[in-house]
Amino acid sequence: MFGYVRPPLALLAPEEADRFRRIYCGLCRTLGQRHGQRARLILNYDFTFLAILLSAGEEETGSGCCVAHPIRRRAYTRPTAALELAADESVILAWWQLRDGAEDRDHFGGLGDRAAAAALEGAYRAAAALRPAFDEAVHLQLQTLHALEAERSPSMDRAADAFAVLLSAAAGEAEEPVRRRVLEQLLYHLGRWVYLIDAADDLKKDAASGSYNPVALRYGLEDGRWTEESRRAFSATLDHSVHMMTTAFELWDFGAWTPILEATLYTGLFQVGRAVLDGTFHQRGKEKKNIQEG
Amino acid sequence: MNDPYQILGVSETATDEEIKKAYRELARKYHPDNYHDNPLADLAQEKMKEINAAYEEITKQRSGRGGGSSYGGSTAYGGAYRQYQGQSTSSVLQQVRIAIQTGNLTRAEALLANYTDHNAEWNFLRGAVCYRRGWMDEARRYYQAACEMDPTNAEYRQALEYMESGTRGAYAPGGSPFGTELCLGQSCLPFCCILPFCC
Repeated sequence: MFGYVRPPLALLAPEEADRFRRIYCGLCRTLGQRHGQRARLILNYDFTFLAILLSAGEEETGSGCCVAHPIRRRAYTRPTAALELAADESVILAWWQLRDGAEDRDHFGGLGDRAAAAALEGAYRAAAALRPAFDEAVHLQLQTLHALEAERSPSMDRAADAFAVLLSAAAGEAEEPVRRRVLEQLLYHLGRWVYLIDAADDLKKDAASGSYNPVALRYGLEDGRWTEESRRAFSATLDHSVHMMTTAFELWDFGAWTPILEATLYTGLFQVGRAVLDGTFHQRGKEKKNIQEG
Repeated sequence: MNDPYQILGVSETATDEEIKKAYRELARKYHPDNYHDNPLADLAQEKMKEINAAYEEITKQRSGRGGGSSYGGSTAYGGAYRQYQGQSTSSVLQQVRIAIQTGNLTRAEALLANYTDHNAEWNFLRGAVCYRRGWMDEARRYYQAACEMDPTNAEYRQALEYMESGTRGAYAPGGSPFGTELCLGQSCLPFCCILPFCC
């Protein structure tokens, strides 16, 4: 995943922003403890959001120092079964995406991905052994996606469906039937939204390199530029997915995480979507750089 | 029944006006209009029943102190969450409607795949299956085809209009605007320092 799903931190109450920071740190620590220091480099907002969705209602906190913050103690969410699940699933997803990028140089940029995938290999093997069903689902859906890319499918729904099904598999371990339905629906549309937003964000880059871009093909865009009509139709399709997410969200009690989830779904996604469509969303590289330097 | 005050998210000392406000907000959230064709509409309907019952219970408890009647009454939404109840032009398409209503999309798709007359209703139902699956763009295209073939049909037109602008009326807390293109002004400040955690 790519770091598009984020709460509007500036609009959150300070205690909620702190809660978000704590789970971000908690996921980072869980990644490090379970999968080694190198696994912490994959941490991003999307995986943090996944951890929140998979979390039970209450939060247990601890505090300590870490590599990124060696001097000042920081509060973090203690590892829970949900954080462990999110950490394992994040490693699986990140590894497959890196491996995919290494195979498909045009799309993700080749050599760096190969090196990063190799560095994550041990962590991936451990995570895949723990979560075989999710590993299988990710592998299968990325294969589907590859095939659609190879045939240059102009159906953006079909391409987005592969990533959406992949992400909804992250809810596979939810046992309570209502929670499972809610999470599957929410994650399906989150996956669809992320896939489409990423394609929209890459419009110009893909137009220049000639890479597959389902959004450009669907609307027949020239040089990756929106027309007024295509932009309106694309926003409407994104909004329908956001609506499916918000309506699912309202049917389960997410306890302490409710304010963060509410702000992300009802405001954060629209902010990021708008920024991507306006061409002003350029934080991805910065975020990655910050995490790696952090 | 669970504590009706807890269901409405208010304290027992809340005023009648506060209770009514909380009830209205929840009723808007779980209203059938907000769960139009939604695969989780059955869960929303359960919520709505719970909220209506809680509000009626509180009103009953407080009767004599001037309460209020529930949003359209607790039974008002009995059938409103169910969709695709129009009359079909063929028995196969009628079966497709039933399959969609009961959530059996695989059966609906199989029936549609074997139906050779791709008329307006066929396109409409294909669109409905796509929508349920989350294939929003294809849904819109099928609804569009249905409308072009039968421009006078209100059911098809309504579905297309919903795809084009339906989420504008979607519930958002406190009545905030809902939509990527509506994201303007104060609520959409530029991102703050993206990673304050690593500073």
